[in-house]
Amino acid sequence: MALQVTDLTISFGGVVAVNGMSLSIEPGEIVGLIGPNGAGKTTFINCVAGAYRPSRGTVQWKGTELRGLAPHSVIRQGVARTFQNVASLHDLTVLDIVKLGAAARGRRGLAAVADLWRGEAALEAELHETVLEPLGLADIAAQPVQTLSYGLRKAVDLARAMASRPELLLLDEPVAGLTVQEGQQMAAVIREVRDRRRCAVLMVEHKMDVVMSTCDRITVMAAGARIFEGTGPAVQADPEVRRVYLGEP
Amino acid sequence: MPARRRLALLAVVVLAAAGSFALGRFGAYLVHSVAIAAIAAMGLNLLTGFAGQISFASGALIGIGAYTAGNLGNAGWGLGAILAAGVAAAVASVVIGLPALRLRGLYYAIATLAAQFVLEYLFKIVEPLTKGISGMNIAPLVLLGRPVASDQAWAAISIAILALTWLGLARLMRTNVGRAFLVVRENELVAKGMGIDVVRVKLWAFLASGFVIGVSGALVGFTTRLASPEGFGLSLSIDQVAMLIVGGQGVWAGSLLGAGFVVLIPEAIQRLGEALHVANLLSAMREMSFGLLIVLFLLFEPRGLAALLRRLARGVSRIALPHPVPDSSPVVAARTPAPGGTREKAL
Ligand SMILES: Nc1ncnc2c1ncn2[C@@H]1O[C@H](COP(=O)(O)OP(=O)(O)O)[C@@H](O)[C@H]1O
Ligand SMILES: [Mg+2]
Repeated sequence: MALQVTDLTISFGGVVAVNGMSLSIEPGEIVGLIGPNGAGKTTFINCVAGAYRPSRGTVQWKGTELRGLAPHSVIRQGVARTFQNVASLHDLTVLDIVKLGAAARGRRGLAAVADLWRGEAALEAELHETVLEPLGLADIAAQPVQTLSYGLRKAVDLARAMASRPELLLLDEPVAGLTVQEGQQMAAVIREVRDRRRCAVLMVEHKMDVVMSTCDRITVMAAGARIFEGTGPAVQADPEVRRVYLGEP
Repeated sequence: MPARRRLALLAVVVLAAAGSFALGRFGAYLVHSVAIAAIAAMGLNLLTGFAGQISFASGALIGIGAYTAGNLGNAGWGLGAILAAGVAAAVASVVIGLPALRLRGLYYAIATLAAQFVLEYLFKIVEPLTKGISGMNIAPLVLLGRPVASDQAWAAISIAILALTWLGLARLMRTNVGRAFLVVRENELVAKGMGIDVVRVKLWAFLASGFVIGVSGALVGFTTRLASPEGFGLSLSIDQVAMLIVGGQGVWAGSLLGAGFVVLIPEAIQRLGEALHVANLLSAMREMSFGLLIVLFLLFEPRGLAALLRRLARGVSRIALPHPVPDSSPVVAARTPAPGGTREKAL
């Protein structure tokens, strides 16, 4: 078992956003996390990634407890996340952002001072080959991100996460807001990341065709808890899931 | 930076520094006043314009630089006194910045204001180090065995240090710590999600900014030859903020433009007032007109003179050339290949 989340719970004021949620992911597995809006999917990712501190539960990752670690420490453990809504970061180029991704697992403290007289040519070449080329971002590496389309910014966000050489990627709606064509390409990239790097993926997504064609297993969440888990066809056949999620009577 | 550009820049700096010796005393005084103010403005720009942390304590940090350099310079430290002034102000800047790790926005701004007042008070009472209200006399800096006393020499030295500061800060912005400044400025939550240690990054911003402001303070001390509490009050902090806003945040050239504006305009007003025999009236209007200017720039050109000049230059080049020169402005860069097209190729 690579990731084992047990009984995760967090509330905001009176709202229990995630309520006793459990989920596990094997190495190299792509797990889909679906559920209606407000089910707590983003909050779940925030808890695993260290952005929120859950009030109860454990987040075991390869034998290490992630709960209570700061986000930058979680990334150092090889767990990287992307954002549901990508921010527009002014004055930074695509390459700048990808370098920051790589730096998330790089040198720290006073050692960072050495960056002042260290060249970056080797790093740039490596990032071009391992991240920018595979994601089709090589040609626009020098462009400021705020000039890019929403779809490209999502690709940059994924590139940034990949540059930290993760073993688990937490993707929050990677396809939402993309055109059909862009969405298919994004899904292909995600499968390729898994195939090439044996990276495990947890993917929150609404677009069912993408989820069906990409995920090995699907977990359905409603009102902060897991209501079903199984393969794509099993999820689609389950009457409870159809009622809660697909809006059938 | 390409070698040729580096060489051209070096030539400009050497020429400007050498040219200082051809200036009269007053001209040289204006040059070093602007250069020294611009160094501090760059330090504040790093903190506020690039890393997004406002501060009203730069007046006091300039003071710490001046007092440190004064004490050590009087003790015969030479150039080392300038570096030590940077270190002392850097440490103070980090201490002032500690509340920024917990407080946001207005609350943090008020904490820096409080720090400004506390330091001003300390300047008055820690007499062994500051000579209290009467102020501390500072002997001329001794360089290569000779005291540097002329305004011309100080203009040349200030230009050289300004150029070094500019290069160093621009280099810092091309490291991961520098890039992280920009992300922290834009959105702290995103920065955290990207794996940036926001606390550490902010501390670096305070440290580097404080160092630069302290160096400027050392130069203030050595050129005015006097450090006294009222010289490093809130109005100096406000002047610095005015330079930042009028010049342009997040652009290094903006700090130089802002410093030129804030230092030279009052001089010009002073001259005008003397010529028209209304000096008192005009100097009373100084503070008010700066306040008004800050508000006007915030309303109409938040990116300051630097952005204004760039637009002007683009307009001129459009008139002068049939096809505008290509630049990397967002307008041009926005013409990116269709998102689908680019990614398709690679898959
Ligand atoms: N920072 C927060 N403060 C208060 N409420 C929050 C916060 N984050 C999430 N919530 C609440 O938690 C619930 C789950 O939200 P979310 O995880 O974004 O759902 P999903 O991603 O499944 O659409 C919602 O009711 C939302 O309002
Ligand atoms: Mg969500």
